[in-house]
Amino acid sequence: MTIDKAVITAAGPSQRALPLQRLIDRDGQDRTVLAILVEEAAKAGMKQVAVVVHPGDESACASAAEGASVKLHFIPQAGGAGYARAIWSARDFTGSDPFLHLVGDHLYVGSEPGACAARLVEAATRERCSVSAVQATHESLLPNYGAVGGQPLTGHTDLYTVDSVIEKPTPTLAERSLVVPGLRTGQYLCFFGMHVLTPTLMDVLDSILAAGSTPPPSFSSALQALASRERYLALLMDARRYDLGVNYGLFMAQAALALNGRDRDEVLTRLVQLLAASPARKVSL
Amino acid sequence: MDRLIAIITSDDEALRNTPLDRAVEGLTLDHLLQACRALDSFRRQTSNLYHRVRALFFLSSIHRYSLPRLGSVPAFGHIPFRAYTQFLDRRFEESISILLDADSADGPSEALSSALAAAYRGLAFQTLADQVRRSVRSISGNQWMFRCGHAADYPLRIRQELLHSSSGRFPILRETTPVRMDLSHSAWSDIFFLGMDYPEGARVLNISIDLAITGRGQPKPPVEAHFRVIDRPVIRLVSVDLNAHVELSAVAEVFDFAKDYLGLLKAAVIASGIVPPGMEGAPASLAPLLERLTGHPGHGIEIVSKVNDIPKGSRLAVSTNLLACLIAACMRATGQVSTLTGAMEEDDRRLVAARAILGEWLGGSGGGWQDSGGVWPGVKLIRGVQAQPADPEFGISRGCLLPRHDLLPDDRVPPAARQLLQDSLVLVHGGMAQDVGPILEMVTEKYLLRSAREWQARGEAVGILDQVLDRLAHADIRGIGSLTQRNFDAPIQTIIPWAGNHYTQLLINRARAEFGSRFWGFWMLGGMAGGGMGFLFDPEIKPQAATRIQHILSETKRELEGGVPFAMEPVVYDFRINPRGSWSELVPAAEALMPPAYYVLTAPALLRRESRSLTPAQRADLEHFGARSREGGEWAAAGATLIDHLLPETAQSKSASSSLDALLESHGFDRVQHSQIRADMKSGRIGLAQNRLPASARITNVDPGELPGIDGVHSRFVSIGQDALAQGSIAAVSLAGGAGSRWTRGAGVVKALNPFCKIAGRHRSFVEIHLAKSRKASRPYPLAIPHVFTTSYMTHRPFEASLARESSFGYQGPLLLSPGRSVGLRFIPMTRDLRFAWEETPQQVLDVQKQKVIESLRAGLIQWALAAGEGSDYRDNLPLQCLHPTGHWYELPNMLRNGVLARLLDERPSLKTLLLHNIDTLGADVDPGLLGFHLDSGAAMTVEVIPRLLDDRGGGLARVDGRIRLVEGLALPGERIEFDLSFYNSGTMWIDIDRMLAAFPLTRAQLRDQAAVDAAVRDLAARMPSYVTIKDVKKRWGRGQEDIFPVAQFEKLWGDMTALPELDCRYLSVPRLRGQQLKDVAQLDGWVRDGSAAHVASLCDWQ
Repeated sequence: MTIDKAVITAAGPSQRALPLQRLIDRDGQDRTVLAILVEEAAKAGMKQVAVVVHPGDESACASAAEGASVKLHFIPQAGGAGYARAIWSARDFTGSDPFLHLVGDHLYVGSEPGACAARLVEAATRERCSVSAVQATHESLLPNYGAVGGQPLTGHTDLYTVDSVIEKPTPTLAERSLVVPGLRTGQYLCFFGMHVLTPTLMDVLDSILAAGSTPPPSFSSALQALASRERYLALLMDARRYDLGVNYGLFMAQAALALNGRDRDEVLTRLVQLLAASPARKVSL
Repeated sequence: MDRLIAIITSDDEALRNTPLDRAVEGLTLDHLLQACRALDSFRRQTSNLYHRVRALFFLSSIHRYSLPRLGSVPAFGHIPFRAYTQFLDRRFEESISILLDADSADGPSEALSSALAAAYRGLAFQTLADQVRRSVRSISGNQWMFRCGHAADYPLRIRQELLHSSSGRFPILRETTPVRMDLSHSAWSDIFFLGMDYPEGARVLNISIDLAITGRGQPKPPVEAHFRVIDRPVIRLVSVDLNAHVELSAVAEVFDFAKDYLGLLKAAVIASGIVPPGMEGAPASLAPLLERLTGHPGHGIEIVSKVNDIPKGSRLAVSTNLLACLIAACMRATGQVSTLTGAMEEDDRRLVAARAILGEWLGGSGGGWQDSGGVWPGVKLIRGVQAQPADPEFGISRGCLLPRHDLLPDDRVPPAARQLLQDSLVLVHGGMAQDVGPILEMVTEKYLLRSAREWQARGEAVGILDQVLDRLAHADIRGIGSLTQRNFDAPIQTIIPWAGNHYTQLLINRARAEFGSRFWGFWMLGGMAGGGMGFLFDPEIKPQAATRIQHILSETKRELEGGVPFAMEPVVYDFRINPRGSWSELVPAAEALMPPAYYVLTAPALLRRESRSLTPAQRADLEHFGARSREGGEWAAAGATLIDHLLPETAQSKSASSSLDALLESHGFDRVQHSQIRADMKSGRIGLAQNRLPASARITNVDPGELPGIDGVHSRFVSIGQDALAQGSIAAVSLAGGAGSRWTRGAGVVKALNPFCKIAGRHRSFVEIHLAKSRKASRPYPLAIPHVFTTSYMTHRPFEASLARESSFGYQGPLLLSPGRSVGLRFIPMTRDLRFAWEETPQQVLDVQKQKVIESLRAGLIQWALAAGEGSDYRDNLPLQCLHPTGHWYELPNMLRNGVLARLLDERPSLKTLLLHNIDTLGADVDPGLLGFHLDSGAAMTVEVIPRLLDDRGGGLARVDGRIRLVEGLALPGERIEFDLSFYNSGTMWIDIDRMLAAFPLTRAQLRDQAAVDAAVRDLAARMPSYVTIKDVKKRWGRGQEDIFPVAQFEKLWGDMTALPELDCRYLSVPRLRGQQLKDVAQLDGWVRDGSAAHVASLCDWQ
């Protein structure tokens, strides 16, 4: 299985401005979030990257990703709202090929740029199936993520077969359906925001979107259907992902890039100075 | 003994079901003691929960019944005080160890066995309760709530649909839930312990129903919950039917269950995970949690409960279904139930039911597992489930905590059967609201002991359920009526005789007499009869029957209410089977209104505020309510009621106050004495702590060898007694002026008239039993024994009415009532007395969650006493509930003051002796031997005492500064001393009339001189100590709701007469069967099982 196409979604009403935000990357370069994501894909061996955008955002996104080393496509999301539909908008681009998918409102910080996507692509290529990157996540964060339930794959410490996928489960539901052997109590495998998906996913989306339900089907429900149709794995990531859309999300992502990059010492020094200069406050833990 | 352990552990069903009584039949004392040692060792070693529990119940039963029955165990023994305090603190293992050490050192005794029986029983129930608690926590979907301890870890979010606001208001989620009735009565097989040990026998036929009190509209789901987001960072809880509302801003307030009437709503908030149980004890504000929950700073939630006109004690599991309804609404709102509106999926129903169990445990209550059946629709068979390897219960118990619900389709319950059932059944609330907790404990114990008759009856009840199912499939409701009647008459009352009562039996008899064969049968709902009940009739006469049943209920209640505690006026319901179970609707923000009564309750406080201080949502809500109330109907009525609520209430409270004053006047209330007592109490001169004898008093035990026993009563005394009886020189006096508050928990009815037990085929009251004993004692002699019942302001009229109605129970001898001549007005207690009672004296610690509730309740009651004014008069209740009898010391002097003794002496000049006893000492009779013993001794008073057992609390016989006398428990300087006393006061005394008169001092001739009698009584009363006591008094309100308040009162007690140096008192040790008192309804079952009831019956002549 060859994976050389990637789809980045950046069309959500509340996230469409996030890929355009500028950050200083690990090398000290001033770049947009979108450019950093495209580079992540490129370093994982992608040759073409499609960015699904809100209609009218094509040029803004194109300039944000200027200078990319791969071929870029900007696809306006059509036919309605929703994450599942955003992926489906890239159906013509992916055709009958598997593809890497990244969400446009997250940044991934691994051992080096591109390491996260590369590891995921390598696992999917080896296992010849869809693989979603996941991270062990405390139950208090369940309202923010999709989560999977499954069993460890024999002979592997970081791969799981996926039995069920639930979007933003309540802890009650998670406890009943998503407990995974080997994880600590109260921890679940939540999506990392990065997937390798086979063309079957697009077939699934074809059918569930055609049904026209209200509210529109979630991406997680499509993944649940995918799990019932074919082998589907989850890869446990030890890297960090940063949700840019939450309070201080962009700030935390910037700090993570800086502390893992060239300017680590300088930034660390400044942070310590900042801490020293801050008035002491009682913190409730 | 190996055989008992084999019974517990055997896989062979026949052996496992061997009744304990049969297994120990014929065993000698040594064998029984050996069996106890083996069982104790076994229960410490076995890892199987139910083996352990059954061994504990075996041990308890052997000590309580088998050993005393042998007659060879010494009656006297010393119960170590430390074992008692450990027992009260629920440290049962430690208590048992201390008692077993004492047993090894001193040898066995009935006293030690009584303590061991109680400790083993306590440990057995605690083990079972702990297991249910563990199972509730280990249910998948519940566990996360116990590890979430901080708002930062809080994982729930309100569903987006509930956050779409309009003018500051948010949508309302409205959940409605039917209640359940149990068509077969399950023989209580839905008790968790039973279901978990005997899943194959745990089955109930459970029907969800809508209700309306006849004449008040169409049946609808009886309980409702409303949930919405509000623009204040609080949890606002409102109970429309209990007229209570509160805003909670701190986590700790959510866990304070008994602070107000909103404990059920708080339990729902916790059990639904909105404030997870793991946060208990966190000293935190709710605001951060609510911000995470709603996603909006400064926002919170409001939960409103409403019970549609269904009174408490309906036996239809209203409370559990309301809890489930509230939990369902909260879980839907937070996405834990997959559907926001409409019905629920089966998995979600089970989850809600599991959370309802958790909520009941949190709230310190607890029903059976079928109680949340209203969450499911229609008719269903609920069954125990065998634990499988994947279940958390596997290896611990045979069954799972949660049962399986099978909805019965039309081929098993045809539509015609459902319709016919509705057309035949007259569903009622009989008006009684009793605590079924003791009954559930009895059922559990009898099941684990496999008592022969009860076990056979359980099998019969299981068979009846199959027959009911069969009849239902054939739409044969008449057949069902006959089965439910048979179930009530035989298995149910065989297992628990107290499930039936005189009231219910009268209702059945009267229905049968009036409707003959068209009355198809009675149907008991829930734990016991008297509250929710059903009467099945030929559908053709159901409308008339419903009307007549209402009359029969009301008439029978009026007839019995003097002696039977009713909480409310009986009602008849209209009902229909609910086809959809718990159901939810979402009302959009623009149209969202709470029920009309919500505004009547909450609007006055808002309207009294400056309008600018209202939040936008509050303002919009009031505007919307105003607009609706202009449309007429129930909204307009609510508007009018709201106006009434805005104005202070005056007329009613004035009339209650004047009625109380009139009562006080008419019963000889002594205002001067009352003011003195009040002043003394407020100043601290008298109080609970001051009741005690000075610490310098030397109080020592009277050794058992110092008193003559019943075996010392030889034939010479019998013949002296027989002569006295033949001469008509003895009268019986039963003290019945007291409230019997432990019997009815302060319900204000006459204990003496309570038909509490079926003897010789009928329910009999204390009065009837005492008269039957006097009849039998009189039978061989020409003159019947005169019998006097002393009464008080509270008991006199019901007594008169009851004796008139029952033609004095056919008693042919002189029968007199001696009305009370003194009355007291209760006080709001001093908080120091409440603290002394609750903190300084040993108190029974309850199961962990119940203890939390009671501590919260006590904190609330101390606040109540402070707010109401410590030491001030207690007037905030029905007038009769504000008065109190002034203690039984006055009851005999009252016979002097009211002329009853003089009349008696006129009628029977030969009268020389009185047998005085408490109304609850049922074994006391005019025994010729004891009478002869008393006469022969020449004493002024002979007091009967009994060997002390664990439950005999409240003083006893002691040597005080060298003189043998009775000492009240209130007067003992320390609790420990009581445990050194061998004898307990039975309250039965033989009194020489002339010598007693001399103590006043009076003569027979002076009894005609009222002034001399009054002065003599007053002078002697002044020499008697006054004890301040705390008593529980019930205050009823709403629809069957009851509050219990501790109030202070004073009393003088007859036992203190033994301290008078001029009165020659002797003491006689009598057997327990003669001297024990029935103080508490919970004693009844043991009273029957240990042979006491049969002994009493043998003393009676019912003709």
